[in-house]
Amino acid sequence: MGVVSWRASALLSWLMLLPMLFAEVGAAPTWTKHTNNWAVLVCTSRYWFNYRHMANTLSLYRTVKRLGIPDDHIILMLADDVACNARNARPAQVDYRGYEVTVENFLRVLTGRHDAAVPRSKRLLSDEGSNILLYMTGHGGDEFLKFQDSEEIQSRDLADAFAQMHEKRRYKELLVMVDTCQAATLHSQLYSPGILAVGSSLKGENSYSHHLDADVGVSVVDRFTYYTLQFFENLDIHSNATLESLFKSYSPSLLMSHMDYRADLFPRTLDKVLVTDFFGSVMGIKHTEAAYVGFTGRYEELLNPQKAPSLAAVNEPVFEAPREKDQVLEDEEDLNVEKIRHRLLAADNDLPVLVGLLALAAAVTVSSIAFPGA
Amino acid sequence: MAKWWVVWGGGTLGICVRFLLVVMGSLSLLDRRVEVVSPVTSLSRLAEGYWLKEYGKSPYAGSAYHGSPLLLSLIGPVIGDRQDTSIGYLLCSCSLFVVADLMSALLLRSTGKLLEHGHSKHLQLLGLTNLLREKTDRKDKLGIGDISFLVYLFNPFTIAVCVGGSTSSIENMLIILSLYGAAAGKVPLAGFGWAMATHLSMYPVFLIIPIYYLLTNGLDSPPNKLFELAKSVEPAAKEDSCHGKDANDSYLQSSKSSSKGLQTTPMLSSRRKWVVISKLVFWSAISWVCILRLCKVALLGRSSLITMWLETHKYMLTVDDLTPNLGLFWYFFTEVFDFFRNFFLMVFHANIAFMVPPLTIRLRHRPIFLAFILTAICSMIKSYPTVGDAALYIGLMALCVHELSELKYFYLLLNGYILISVLGPVMYNLWIFRGTGNANFYFATNLVYATLQTVLIVESVSTVIGYDKHLLKEIKLHSSNKSSQLHPKSMEVSA
Repeated sequence: MGVVSWRASALLSWLMLLPMLFAEVGAAPTWTKHTNNWAVLVCTSRYWFNYRHMANTLSLYRTVKRLGIPDDHIILMLADDVACNARNARPAQVDYRGYEVTVENFLRVLTGRHDAAVPRSKRLLSDEGSNILLYMTGHGGDEFLKFQDSEEIQSRDLADAFAQMHEKRRYKELLVMVDTCQAATLHSQLYSPGILAVGSSLKGENSYSHHLDADVGVSVVDRFTYYTLQFFENLDIHSNATLESLFKSYSPSLLMSHMDYRADLFPRTLDKVLVTDFFGSVMGIKHTEAAYVGFTGRYEELLNPQKAPSLAAVNEPVFEAPREKDQVLEDEEDLNVEKIRHRLLAADNDLPVLVGLLALAAAVTVSSIAFPGA
Repeated sequence: MAKWWVVWGGGTLGICVRFLLVVMGSLSLLDRRVEVVSPVTSLSRLAEGYWLKEYGKSPYAGSAYHGSPLLLSLIGPVIGDRQDTSIGYLLCSCSLFVVADLMSALLLRSTGKLLEHGHSKHLQLLGLTNLLREKTDRKDKLGIGDISFLVYLFNPFTIAVCVGGSTSSIENMLIILSLYGAAAGKVPLAGFGWAMATHLSMYPVFLIIPIYYLLTNGLDSPPNKLFELAKSVEPAAKEDSCHGKDANDSYLQSSKSSSKGLQTTPMLSSRRKWVVISKLVFWSAISWVCILRLCKVALLGRSSLITMWLETHKYMLTVDDLTPNLGLFWYFFTEVFDFFRNFFLMVFHANIAFMVPPLTIRLRHRPIFLAFILTAICSMIKSYPTVGDAALYIGLMALCVHELSELKYFYLLLNGYILISVLGPVMYNLWIFRGTGNANFYFATNLVYATLQTVLIVESVSTVIGYDKHLLKEIKLHSSNKSSQLHPKSMEVSA
């Protein structure tokens, strides 16, 4: 009797926990695999004298594409389209252009709350395995970023949007890069896990442009973006450069401002994060025969009640450190490599088949010659 | 007559033209043309399937490859991964198909020689030596064997599929091999060729009928009633001093029952027929068993024979792939509701199946011509047609030039084929690459192609039937002449 009631109460407590698992308020201590990369590149200022902001965004677009992220995983928002001229030999795929670049659309892209009629190319279709690069450039100030000279987004709005993204499991890791004046203030209110925020200048500092072009007549790129791109020019898709080396490459004297980053919400240390995790699209590929069943983090917990988290664990805002990418590959690779090796060694079966075919043909020919007539 | 320069000169030139085109890079050009490669004959899909097999997976994974595993083992190691562009590699990779083309042409030539021989004998038997003399007056005239050799080897369609990365050359070779085997009375060759051809692509299954008639009834000959009619006037011809000796010899020779190609009796004796049928069944069965066993070995246990059948024959039956091609299915099935899809699949395939019995009944005395008509019909209504099928039936058509000498609309058909060869790719370009056309542009050329093939088939059949009627008329004219010569008093007008 006592045993039965103990089991019943355990089952009841687990059943009560079930909605908690689905509600996922606060932290979600599960580890998911990084499977795809997205990039959201936003230029918030228009008009000719803000050429450099568009050039920033477009050159980063080019870099990100070169390192492997495909067009359908890039959301490009340009407040003034210089790239879409029909005479451009390689036009960019601008998803939001001109007056479509508004705070509302930007937040809709981040949170995924679109009208049903919005096409797929304008949606950020990320999932819990996506690493997202969010790059914003334009005019900004203390805790705000200006959109199109008419409206602004505040740091709290941005932080809340990220929190919604976290709750809806729309990213695994998020790198926010902002190149505006006083950019670091935009990150001051962030509180969701998995975010690494980089700003080109501290509070009270301006971010400066790099150089101007005599033909165009205006500045063509900003310093922070310029030095970022310079770092990437030497890389290719297989590079092992880490974010730590990227951040070390910025020098305050050249930038004429202090680059600041915020890594307290980010689970991994920066010397272990490859730049291609965000700026490119390189993933280890494992060949499997079985069907793809998606992410196994939470489902295992659901299936095995013994592993259900206790109430205390749910309330903690920190999630467990994920296993290293390489370590995971090694575990499963060991199992498959043996199979593959075995198969590859046995793959050369052409010779017996050819011999069989030739034997059949020879038998047919010989019998047709040796026994003429029917 | 054996014109050595036809074989050696033509053969060398044919090989040189193919190698030259391959070296000049035709593979990369033609590999993407839907008229030349189809999902079941494409070499790039074969390379993909071979790579999958090498990697340890089933070659049918991912719906890339839809051909036979035997071709994987045969051609896979030769073409490798097709990234190499050195001349040596290009020549090596296409050599198999060039050899297949050459063999097909030689087999056609041998079949043509047999047919020529039979043709002259038949005319002599019928006592229509005047027709015979017209045709052999010029000593340097090419026989139908040589004509079909040259037609097959230098047909632009044949060259296109040979150098264009398609396995059609091998399929065509096997079909022609089976027809040659049946024509020459070599049952093992016929059975093996038919089994392999059916295994590679499903449609040659209908060719079992011409093969059967070739083995039992012999080569193309005028209908039996003409022979009976000729026999009834034969006694008169024996006394004819001009043709007496020839007619006597041929008559005596042909009455031997052992000569297969020179039939005067309507059929072989029952017993011999059953012997032939049982041999055909035996050799076909042996070939099928060996083929399936070798397929199982080639698949290395990663895939089953059922999967193989599903991905090859069932794929052709259910028309899973609707990429545009020369045929009529793709356009139709993009519009058909799923509810009716199976019905229309049955209708399309029954269209071929139901045409076979009436044609067989009417043309069973001319099996090679029947084979030509059946391949033409299959080429028109098959799931994934290419110009390789056209190459095959044009080659077989060349074997029947004697009967088809009166073919109407020949000029229209020839120019129609040239027009389709030019217009089809243009419309495809307009639709797919430039975006200024749409699917209707390209499908219109498909419809024109189907119309041309229909005209060809209908006119060929009516021409051959007209030829037989012409022979009948000639015999009756001959007999009335003879009877009027021998019996000048009774001037009967024979009906």
